[in-house]
Parts: sequence; structure tokens; C-alpha cells
Amino acid sequence: MTAAKENFLVGIFDDEDVLLQAVGNIRDKGVKIKEVYSPFPVHGLDEELGYTRSRLPIAAFLFGMTGTILALSTQIWMMGFDWPMIIGGKNHYSIPPFIPVTFEFTVLLSAFGMVGTFLVVSDLKPYKWPRQYDIRSTDDKHVMAIDLGANKASKEEIRKILTENGATEVNEKSF
Amino acid sequence: MSTTKKKYWKGLEQLKNDTAFVKHADKEFVNIGVEEDPGHSRRDFLKMMGFSVAAASLAACETPIRKAIPFVTKPLDADPGIANYYASTYIDGGDYCSVLVKTRDGRPVKIEGNALSSVSGGGTSAQVEASVLSLYDNYRLRGPKIVDKKTDWETVDSEIIAKLGSASHIRIISNTILSPSTKVAIDKFKAKYPSTQHIQYDPISYYGVWKANEASFGTGFIPSYDFSKAKTIVSLGADFLGTWLSPIEFTKQFGATRKIDEEHREMSRLYQFEANLSLTGANADYRTMVKPSQSGLVAAQLYNLIAAKAGKAALAASIDKITYLDKAAEDLWASKGSSLVVSGSNDKNVQTIVNGINDMLGSYGSTILSALPVNFRQGNDELMAAFVEEAASGKVDAVIFYNCNPVYDHPMGEKLGAALKGIALTVSTGYTEDETASLSTYKAPDHHYLESWNDFEPKKNLFSLSQPAITPIFKSRQAQESFMVWAGAPTEYFTFVKENWKNWFFAKATSAMDFQSWWDNCLYEGVLETKTDTSASISFTGDIAAAATAVSSTYKATNSGYELVVFESYGLGNGSQANNPLLQELPDPITKIVWDHPILVSQADAKALKFEMDGESNTQIGTLTVGGKSIPVPVLIQPGQAPGTFGISLGYGRTKVGKVAENIGQRAYQYLALVNGSISSDVLSGVTLTKTDTPFQLAQTQTHQTYMGRESVIQESVLSEFKKNPSAGRDFPKVTKWDEKVDPSSLSLWKGHEYNNHHWGMSIDLNSCTGCGSCIVACNVENNVSLVGKDEVIRRREMHWLRIDRYYSSDSTSTTSEEAEIASANPEVVFQPMLCQHCNNAPCETVCPVAATTHSTEGLNQMTYNRCIGTRYCANNCPYKVRRFNWFKYHDNQQFYQSNPAMNTDLGRMVLNPEVTVRSRGVMEKCSFCVQRIQAGKLTAKRERRPMKDGEVVTACQAACTSGAIVFGDMNNPDSAITKLLKITKDEKGASAFDKKTGNPRAYRVLEDIGVKPNIFYLTKIRNKEAEKEHA
Amino acid sequence: MQASAPVRESLVTGGKTVHDVSHDISRQVEGNPTRLWWMAFGVSLAVLTYGAYCCGYMLWNGIGVWGLNKTVGWAWDITNFVWWVGIGHAGTLISAILLLFRQRWRMSINRAAEAMTIFAVICALSFPAFHMGRLWLGFYWALPLPNTFGSLWVNFNSPLLWDVFAISTYFSVSLVFWYMGLIPDFAVIRDRAVKAGAKTRANIYNALSFGWDGAAKTWSRYESVALILAGLSTPLVLSVHTIVSMDFATSVVPGWHTTIFPPYFVAGAIFSGFAMVLTLLLITRKVFHLEDYITIYHVELMNIIIIVTGSIVGIAYITEFFIAWYGGVPAEQYAFANRMSGPYWWAYWSMMTCNVISPQLFWFKRLRTNLVATFVISIIVNIGMWFERFVIIVTSLHRDYLPSSWTMFHPTMYDIGEYLFTFGIFFTFFLLFAKFFPVINMAEVKSIVKATSEKKKSTTGAH
Repeated sequence: MTAAKENFLVGIFDDEDVLLQAVGNIRDKGVKIKEVYSPFPVHGLDEELGYTRSRLPIAAFLFGMTGTILALSTQIWMMGFDWPMIIGGKNHYSIPPFIPVTFEFTVLLSAFGMVGTFLVVSDLKPYKWPRQYDIRSTDDKHVMAIDLGANKASKEEIRKILTENGATEVNEKSF
Repeated sequence: MSTTKKKYWKGLEQLKNDTAFVKHADKEFVNIGVEEDPGHSRRDFLKMMGFSVAAASLAACETPIRKAIPFVTKPLDADPGIANYYASTYIDGGDYCSVLVKTRDGRPVKIEGNALSSVSGGGTSAQVEASVLSLYDNYRLRGPKIVDKKTDWETVDSEIIAKLGSASHIRIISNTILSPSTKVAIDKFKAKYPSTQHIQYDPISYYGVWKANEASFGTGFIPSYDFSKAKTIVSLGADFLGTWLSPIEFTKQFGATRKIDEEHREMSRLYQFEANLSLTGANADYRTMVKPSQSGLVAAQLYNLIAAKAGKAALAASIDKITYLDKAAEDLWASKGSSLVVSGSNDKNVQTIVNGINDMLGSYGSTILSALPVNFRQGNDELMAAFVEEAASGKVDAVIFYNCNPVYDHPMGEKLGAALKGIALTVSTGYTEDETASLSTYKAPDHHYLESWNDFEPKKNLFSLSQPAITPIFKSRQAQESFMVWAGAPTEYFTFVKENWKNWFFAKATSAMDFQSWWDNCLYEGVLETKTDTSASISFTGDIAAAATAVSSTYKATNSGYELVVFESYGLGNGSQANNPLLQELPDPITKIVWDHPILVSQADAKALKFEMDGESNTQIGTLTVGGKSIPVPVLIQPGQAPGTFGISLGYGRTKVGKVAENIGQRAYQYLALVNGSISSDVLSGVTLTKTDTPFQLAQTQTHQTYMGRESVIQESVLSEFKKNPSAGRDFPKVTKWDEKVDPSSLSLWKGHEYNNHHWGMSIDLNSCTGCGSCIVACNVENNVSLVGKDEVIRRREMHWLRIDRYYSSDSTSTTSEEAEIASANPEVVFQPMLCQHCNNAPCETVCPVAATTHSTEGLNQMTYNRCIGTRYCANNCPYKVRRFNWFKYHDNQQFYQSNPAMNTDLGRMVLNPEVTVRSRGVMEKCSFCVQRIQAGKLTAKRERRPMKDGEVVTACQAACTSGAIVFGDMNNPDSAITKLLKITKDEKGASAFDKKTGNPRAYRVLEDIGVKPNIFYLTKIRNKEAEKEHA
Repeated sequence: MQASAPVRESLVTGGKTVHDVSHDISRQVEGNPTRLWWMAFGVSLAVLTYGAYCCGYMLWNGIGVWGLNKTVGWAWDITNFVWWVGIGHAGTLISAILLLFRQRWRMSINRAAEAMTIFAVICALSFPAFHMGRLWLGFYWALPLPNTFGSLWVNFNSPLLWDVFAISTYFSVSLVFWYMGLIPDFAVIRDRAVKAGAKTRANIYNALSFGWDGAAKTWSRYESVALILAGLSTPLVLSVHTIVSMDFATSVVPGWHTTIFPPYFVAGAIFSGFAMVLTLLLITRKVFHLEDYITIYHVELMNIIIIVTGSIVGIAYITEFFIAWYGGVPAEQYAFANRMSGPYWWAYWSMMTCNVISPQLFWFKRLRTNLVATFVISIIVNIGMWFERFVIIVTSLHRDYLPSSWTMFHPTMYDIGEYLFTFGIFFTFFLLFAKFFPVINMAEVKSIVKATSEKKKSTTGAH
């Protein structure tokens, strides 16, 4: 590839608890961690890595609201204004019979909207191969990637820090 | 039908002058004559199926546009899309009805009663309503035939004339002939062939009545009866509301006596003494089960009871322990002068005694109009029997059957049939190749009555005309013309009739107008009636003692053996229209059976003979043996059937009849026999019924017999209660609120919609509805309702929009127990016409996902067929179960060719009402209150720039309802009949409120408690009986 | 992170390591199908084909080939619909509600349960489709689409239309929920494939996994998405059967018009759903040797839920009768008397035996923890729930207000064929799922392996 090679130091951890401590210590030592890859969600890892809370719930709420308003207004317009019909002697439009559809549509939009957003922001798409620092990251290893380009500390220092903090192995990887 | 829409022939000129019309009218039908059956092979069917499926799945596609060729010169009065009405006359066997024929684009599509006739008075019967489809019967003869070879009229005529010339004993056999002109035509024939003898007989014989009157008054005749004047009616097995003598007329008269309200709280009282539960028995206030073997004695006993009061001598014959007989005598005597006793017996002696009774009661001149004798039912059983004998013995060498079918409908039919082979010349003028025609060498088909000119004299001095409503479809020829051709004096029958009327009646016509306009007026009105004084009484001179002795020898108080009652079918009548699916699928008013006729067995006898029937009409075949003749018949356990008697109806068992009626039922005519001079329909001895193990399922449209004591469905009381309180029998359901009980209609979550223009509603009087069923046929014809056939009815899928629920009373008062499902041995019967109730809060509308059924701003519950996707949710949610689903494609589908020719044969299709869509497979349908008629009425009013008149729109069922039980109209119009009848009051919601308040204490809505607020109101049934007899 | 309560039995037995989890679960995806699988698949396909023929015949000739009539407009079609929807409840319920309640025991069963949900809902959807007289129009006329007829919209008052929205929403959201769970596990299989050098499989599963990388950031987003989806699905799953029950509850038919239907239907749905989950899991467990992941403990917990919901349903039945009697409406009273003693008494009593009596056996721990007993009763419950719907629909319709219209209903071979058709769909799909998808949520199980299985080891080491 034409782009300049990026070089990474990849720390492999077996145990999530060890990892959690490690992340904290390593960051205290001023080493910038690119990202940690785990086979399963490790609770607290995002705090340790200093990630801010996801704003997806807000997205979900907004999508939901859109659904509610859309469904309700559409029903009222269709039944009450566009072409009112006498059905079972009932009023042309009244809210109670419109609730079920409104509710379902709210859920639908909110769920799809949120999942869609999630896929976009996390850049997940079927035709993309992820950058894999260590293939075992989906099996049983927790993989910590450290971008050497982004760190002042030397490769050896970082390797040392990693091993001190319980990395079972430390490899180099370049892309 | 509004008079403004009526059009009539301007006479022959129009026909003649406008040859273009005749030619093109011919063209219109030229290619339907040729085919014997619709001629679609299975492969065609699949092709069509394939097409329809493909077309349907590409929902966007338009249906292919067919070119319509307009008339080159449009005939006068024939506007495409505008209906023309022609006054005409229905005649079949002894039945007579003056009718109006509705035609669209030259095709008769509907028959309705002609109100101007004082005989049928605008009423119709199921047969009359259905007769329009018989016009398009595929089994009709396409033209003259010699044996089985098609030929032309010239050949037929020459051969017949030749054979007649050499004949020395010529006989003309016919049913009663009402037509003066026809009689003249036949006389011409007689004049040419002096050896000719004309013999009249009727499938249903009244010869006994005729002879009894001869014995009683010197001259043989059958009088007119006036039930409308009768306060007390005692009927000894005479089913005058169903089949006896002139049922249309009698239903109208009787219905008038059953209409009561707050102001007028008197009604007639009807006693019925009979063996099998007849329509009249079902409407009777007091009904007693009497065996045929006792019937004569009952008449005698009734005579004795009356004689005792009149201070006359009792008769030698008598019988006791006949329930209600004494009471009947009391009432008869009490209402002397306006009482009436009729008997269904065809036994001269019994009828003589009945005449004696009526004489004592002074009925003659009041309820019996001897001065107005009827001309129908003039058949002479003795002559007919004699003819069969001489035919069998080979004495006859030429016989012409004029529109009659004795081989089928005469007791000695087989014998006659066998004899025909030996007769040199046999001619039949029947319009189908029936049993007699097929055994005759020459088939010289007459027109169907809707293609014919003719005149009639049903009663003395009451005349009517029939005129063609369509140019002859086939190469048939007016039978009268045939007679005159064979007599060597060919005359066009139309001119013949016209000339006769000119000579006979125009001369007497008081109103001074020229003949043409007088004649036009006759055609326009269809009837020509001159008043005769009917009050004239007549002196009874009969030898009643002799009659009594004869009776006591024929009848006995106790008879050990079983007896058989043979009666005329309500649907098929005498069987001449058996090939008409409208009648085959018309549920019998009592048994609710279609497409078959069972043998009726009482509950007690069924137990004794080990017959069992489950809730799905699964029964067994029994072997009925009478005088050595055995037939297999399915058994129906019939409440109200007198123990010790069986009942079986006529009209079935046709063998040469066409696909529709093929192999349905048994020919019961063979059990009729000549008993002292007249044909008796009762077999008093030698009757056995044995059970076979062959299972059989009858097709019943109603399998549950009682109404489970549900007051919200049927509300009835008795007159004595009604007199005290006009709302007697009403059920006022209450809904419990948290604090109080309130009227269901007062509770609602919404205020409803106002109907500011019209608000269509209907009232059905359970008291005057006799359950006859002509409304059902009328509805079928008007609305192109599919007929689905026996198997589909067994699957409970009949398509009738209007049905008549028939409920028997039960001995149990429970609303949930099994006992409540069992009818009493001699039940009270109530008929309830049930159709779409057009609920203002319609449950069906709410649940339709695609809004295919909605409410109009005139209160109609509308069904949009082409929007329907067929979820059937609406039908499930309909409390009245009046919605009908198209389970299959009933049109253009060979599977339904037999049951539904009107949608599966090119000939039958001509009967379809172009104003109503033929529904496709998979959609829901139901009563529309004849919305096409409502729209037509509105358009007429709009065109004439005036508000609609009440009575301008008449639904098909209302028009067909002879007894006037059905009233339809605009409930917003303060002057409309329905507003007046129901006493609709302006409530706080104002006149146009959707929920009308009725002031009529009898008016109720079915299932008031569920608050769907129908636009159909029922008037409570009031029986004229004592309170203590009121059943729970 | 969460500590597992020591009182709890371990959820994963046999001292499995995280790697074992990936291995055990991915194994059957990678290996060739067993003969048993082939046989089962063949049978399902055969049933599917026969069912498809019956559907085709019905579509060609009309609804009339079924046993329905003028009075009974719905019978097997809607019975099966409600039955399948009910079954389709357990999956999402297990995943969503149990996730909200942090019930970790769900983790090894929710994947299969959700799959079952989705296939069951597909089966359910086929009935409202086929029961329409004009399917070819209905399938899009039932949606509020702009159309050539001008201002022609659907009727939003109709419970049937609410159904359209409820079921389709439920289906699509469950599908998304299920697929979200699958994404990380697909990645596992992908990477195993890479290791094994199976290029094609690697590509396929990468596409299926949307190029999942398992980054901490993605995981944290992923978790909140899962949580919110669960939050949305919980009311959704309850709403679905509530709305289905409104098809009946909002009508005027005696026996349908009942306000307790929503809770009663939901309970019934969970009841039948769990029964079906058990039926299927016990088979899967056996066939794929997942005894260590689906333990007796799981089975017992589910059996307890079956006792609870079964009892709720039983109480609902009794309440209906009491109210019918207490309400004093003749038609209503008759409807219920007719259920017990009318022509369809046998349906009613099979319902009672299967739904009310049989689950009570689970009060005995020996039966509750006995796989054979559980399997048998789970099937009995499913039969019972079918009869419940049949009783509600057919016995209410066949004798309603006007005795003149009372009829009986008899199924034809096409009613039965249509039912078989859905079984064909269900098992064909389920077998394909079991073969090509990880039947257990690896990521979730892995997250509890340490907490539980290690403890297990220590306890076993103790004596």
C-alpha cells in the first residue's frame, strides 16, 4: 500500500480483570491506548479507557418521538380529514383506537433508527474486513492495540509496561 | 314500481312498423338459441380460472372492454339502462297471478305483482317470482321435434294435419283453461274435428269441492272466499296460506286481519285441524293434530256443534275428544255472519257438510262469494280417469296435450305413459320436453308465458291479459296458433285476442274512447274488471244426512295403521317448475329443507320406528310402502306431525326435467287415488315405513329448531294481554351502570352521526308474516344472489341475503339446557324474516381492516365488494349472521352449473339484473336494502325536480310480500308509511337523529341489549288465544 | 463488573474455559451435518411440500375448500395464527425481560428461543395471509398506502389492522434484536475460519458479522443498544398478544367480548412459548451435546415459569365463567355453558386437562427436574394451548345470538394441510438455523464463564 505504515504494539491479555487493572495503570503511565478488542463485553472497560457514555439512547428517543407524531397525525388525517367515513356510528376520529398503531410505529422507528445509527457510527458494514490486530480477539484473548506513532514512549518501554501489567504476550503489528 | 316509470306497448303497429326493432331484437338473442348447454369444457373452465386468477393477481389490470353494438334505429320506449314494465299474467296449472314484468334491454329480469288485480292484488308467490328464470331454462325445447329429430313447423303441421284427418277419436288434454280466446281457438279446432273431446284436469284436484257445490246448490262451481271479512276461521286441513285454491289472494286477505295496533286491537282467530304441520297450521292460533282418517268426522262433529246452537238436527257421524273443536264452534257461532269454515278435503261429502256448516253460519254472501265463482281448478277427475282408461284400451287414436304433463302429475301417469305408445298421434305443446312430451311423437312447443299473448278470466267478469315481454327466444309457437293452424284456419293469435276483446268487451266499455286507446289501456293495466254484486246469498239444498252417512262409512275415530298425507310442495308447487333452482334452493317454510323432500314423521312415531336425527340433519333412509309401491325416502322428524301419519310433498321425482332437478326426490303423485269420484291426497290404510341403515344427510338451512327462550330475539304475546297492554310481550333489556339500570340505547361513548337527508328503515310485522318465502326468491332474483346447490347448503353456505328464521316453541323454559333445544310435539311456530339490520352502530363496519363496509349518510350499511379482501371478520362480528361469503367462484364455474345456471349458462345469464354486480370469489356480500332501487328512485325524483315520494322506492322483498308484513321507507319523512306505522317521535336529538325513537308499543329491535341500533324494527307477534295458553 | 450470587447454581458446568465455549458452539457450524440432521431436514421438507400443495389448492379454488361456513368464519386459520404468535412470545420475552432483570441464566437459551420466536411469527403471519378471500389484493390493501383509488385508506378502528402493525413490528424488531446478538458470534466463526483457512466461509461470516472487530468502544455502544432494544421489546412483546386478544375482546360475539382477554392472552402466550422453548431446547441440547450450557437448572427455572403462567391461565378460565354467570346476559351464559357441555365439550375438557392440570405436576421437584417429564408436559401444554384458541374461536362462533344460525364446524384435509405447512416452515428454518448459526450466544456465555465455571472448579476441588 502507498500510505505510510502504521506500527502497533499488541498486548494480549487472558483475563478481563487483569486487563481492567492493566488499562488503568498503562494510561496512568501516559501511554495512549488505541483500542482494546475483546471476545465479550468487559464491564467497566469503557470507563477505564475514558470513553464518554454513548448518546445512542438519545437517538432512540428522537426516532421514537418521530414515530409517535407521524403515526398519530397520519391516522387522524386519514380518518378524520382526508376522507371521513361513518364507521360503526363512531366519531370520525378519536384517539383510543389509534393508540395501538401509534405505539407499534413508535417502537418500530425507535428500534430501527437506533440500530441503524449504531451500525453507522461504529462503521459496521457487510463488505468491510476489520483491521485485526490479533485474530484470537474474538475467541478468548483480550487484545490491546497501542499506536507507536501516537506515543512518545519507545517501543521497549511500552512493551515493558505491558508485560508488567500482565500481558501474556506482546507482538508487533504493522498495517 | 312507480307508475311514472311504467311503459307499455303502443300496440301491434309499433311492433309491425318498426321491423328494424324486430330484426335487431332477434339478433340480440340469435346466438343463444343454438346451444343446448353452456358448452364449456373442463379445459375452458381451467382457462377461465387461469385468466381470472391471473387478472386478479395483476390487480392493476382493467377488465377487457367489450364492444356494445347500439340499435341502428332505437325502438320507442326501449332505452338502454332504463327498465320497462309490462303488465302480464302468470298461469301455471291452476295457479293464477296478475303480474308486472320488469325488462331491461329487452330481457325480462324480474316479476312483481300487479296491484290492479282484485284477484292477486299485487301479491306474488315463490313460483311466480321464480318463473322469470324458467323462461331461460336450458331444458326448453328449441323448436318443434318429431320424436327426437329437430324439424320445422311446416313438416310438423303437415304430418299432424294428415294424421288428424284420419283420426276418429281425438282428445285434447289440458289443465284448467282460463283463457276465453283459447277456448274459442279450441272450439275452432273441435269444429274442424268433431270427434274431438277436450278434457281438463288439474295436478292438484278441487273436483270434490266443485261436486259438493253442485250437490249443495244445484250448480257445480268453486266460490271465491273472502278471509278479510272473517273474524273466526276454522280450517279443516285447508292450507289456504300455502297452497289451497288461491293462496296469494288468501294470504293478502288473511294478512289484513292480523294487523293490529293500539287503536285497532281486534284480529281474526284461526283454528287449524290438520295432520301435517302446514304453513296455515304454523300461523294458526289454535292447532289440533287430526288424522286424515278422522277429518271427515271432525267436519261432521263441528256441524253437530253448530247445529246444536242453530237448533238443527245433529248428524249420524260424530267424533269426540278433538281439542279446541268445541271452542272453535263457540267462536264460529259468536261471530256468526263473519265466520268461515274451509276444508282441504277433496271428498265431496266432507265438503258438503262444510257447506252445511257455512250455510248455518251465514257465511254465504259475506265470507264466501258464491256469486263470484272462480274459473281456475275446473279439472274433472272422472273424465280424466275415463280418458286414461280408454287410452289404455286403445280407443283413442289422437291426443294433444296442451301445456300439461299428466304422465308425471296425474296419479294414473304410468298407465297413461304406457298407453301413449299405442296411440297413432300424440302431440305435446309443453315448452319443455317433460315426461309427457318425451313420450309424445310430436313436440310442438308453446311460448313461455312471458313470450305469449293471451287473455284470462280467473273469476267471473274479472279479465286480464298477458303480453310478450321479450321476442320468442326459440322457434316455439303460440299453442293457440297451432290449434288454429291444425284446424285449417291459421290466425295470428295477437290479432285473434284483440278482435275477441273488441267484440266481447269494448262493446260494453262505458268510457267512450276509441278502441285503440281502450285496448292500450287494458294492456297498460293488464286487467279489465267489472264489478259484480257479491252480497247475493245462495240457498243450501244439499242432502247433508246422506253425506254424513257416507262420511261415517269412510272415516273412523280410531285407525290403528299409519296414514299418508300427500301435499303440494311450497317451493316446487305441482312440480311443473321443478327445473328452477330458485325454487329448489328455496327453504321449505316449515322444514327448511332445500333440494329434496323428506317424509315427515312425528316425534313419537320416529321413536317407535327407531329413526334418529342429529343436529346436522343426519338421518336415515326409510322405505315407504303404499299399496305395494315402495320408494326409499329420507326421514325428517317433524314436530307437529300428527302421530300415526306421515307426510310427503308433491313436485319432486321428475324424470324428464333437465340438469337442475335431475334425480331429486320421489314422485308422490303415484300415491294419489280416485276416491268416490275425486282424487284424494290422503292414504288411510296400507301405509308402512321401515327403517333402513342407509345414512342420509338432508340439506337444511336451519338446523336448530327453538329460540332457546331468548326474549331479545322473539317477542310475542297473546291478544288478551295485548288488549290490556299494547306492549305485552315486549322485552325491555336494561344495562347496569354503577348506580342504576338504564336502557341500552341511552349508553354510548359517542353521539353518532345525523342523517340529514333520508334515513331508510324497515318494519317487519311478525304477526302478518306467514313465512311463505316469496320475499326470498324475489331477493335472489333482484340481487343476483348465487345458488350454491345441495352440498354447499349441507356445508351451511347458502348465499340468501334474506332468510326466514322459523322457530318452534319448546316445553322447556330454560335458556341453556339441552331440553330447550327440543321442540314441543305440537309446537307454536313463529317466523322471523332476517336480513341485514343496517345497524347504526354496525359491529361489522368497525372491524373491517380495509373499510370495505361502511355506513352511508342515509343509514345504509354498505358493502363495497371490490374493496373487500375477505377476512370474514365482519361476518363473525355480525350478531344476526346475515353476511354471506363467496367461498368459491359461483359464476362461470362448471362446478355450480347445476345449481346456478343463471351465472353459468349463456341463456341463464339473461336473467341477471344489470343493476347489481355479480360478486366475485372471496368477497363478502349481504342485503343492501335494494340500494339500486333507492338510487333509481332518487334519480327519478331529481330528474323531475321534486322531493321523493313515499312508496316510490320499494324493496324487492317488500314488493313480494303479499301479506304486507314488510314496510320500507324514509324514517326522516314525517308522512311516510313507516314513520306512521312505527310512530317515530322527534326526540331531543331531532328528527334526523340516527337513533329513531318509536312510539309503536309493538315495535322492537332484535338484540336490543347489545346496542347496535338496527334500522329494522319488528312488530311483536300476537296470537289470538287465551292468556293461560301462553307458553313461557 | 458483576459478581454472581454464590447461592445460585452455576450456569455453565463442566469447567469450561472461554476457548471451550467458542469451540463447542462453533463446532457444529463448521462440521458437516449429521445423518440425524439430514433425516430431520428431509422430513421437514416433505411436510413443507405437502403443506404448500394444500395452500396452493386452496388459493386456486377458494376458501371454500376449508370447513368454514356462514356462521363459523374463522376456525383453524385463526386458531393456528394465535397459537403460533403465542409460541413466538417466549424468545423475545426471555431475551428482553430477563435481560432487564439481569437474569443471567437466560444467556445460554435466548439465542435458540429468539430464533424460535422469529420462525413462529413467520408461521403465524402465514395464516392471516392465507385466510383472506383475496390474498392477492389483501396483502397490500391492508396497508395505508397511497393508491389508484384516490383517498382510500385503511380502517384504523379495526383490531385486525392493529394486528397487521403489531405482528409486523414485533417480527422486525425481534429479528433485529436477534441479529444484533448474532453479530459478534459470526465474527468468532469468521476468525476460526480464517485460522482454518476456509476463505469462503470466512468471507460469508464476515459479511454476516458486518465486519465486527470487538473494539471496546463498539462493545460499549453495543451494550447500550442491546439494553434499549430490550427496553423497547418488553412492552412490545406484551402489546402483541394484547392486540391479538383485542381481535376478540372488541367484538360483540359472546365468549369473545371479555375484558380480561389481554392479560389472559399474554399469560397464555408466555405459557405456550416457554413450553415450546423447552420442547426444542431439550432436543437441541441432546443433538448438539450442549448439556453443559443448557443445564437442569435452566430447565427447572423455565418449568417454574410454566407453573406460574399455567396457573394464571387457569384462573382466567374460571374468572370468565364467573363473570358470564354474574353478568346475567343469556347469550353469554349460554356461550359458556355450551363450551362445557355443548357439542365441543371434548375440546374444552382437553384444554382444561392440558393447560390447568398438567402444569401443576411441576410442583413436584422430581418432575420439574426430570427431562423426560418436562419434555412430555411441554408438548401436552402446547396441545392444550391450541385447544384453548380453538375453544375460544369456534365454540363461541358456532352458537352465538340467533339460534337459527347455529352450525357445526368440521375441518377438511386442507385445514390440516395448512397447519402442516407451518410446521414444515418452522422446522426447516429451525434446522437450518441450528446448523449454520451458533445456537448459543457465545459472547454472553463467555462473559459469565469466569464468574461461574471457575467457581465450579474450586468447589469440585474442595472435596
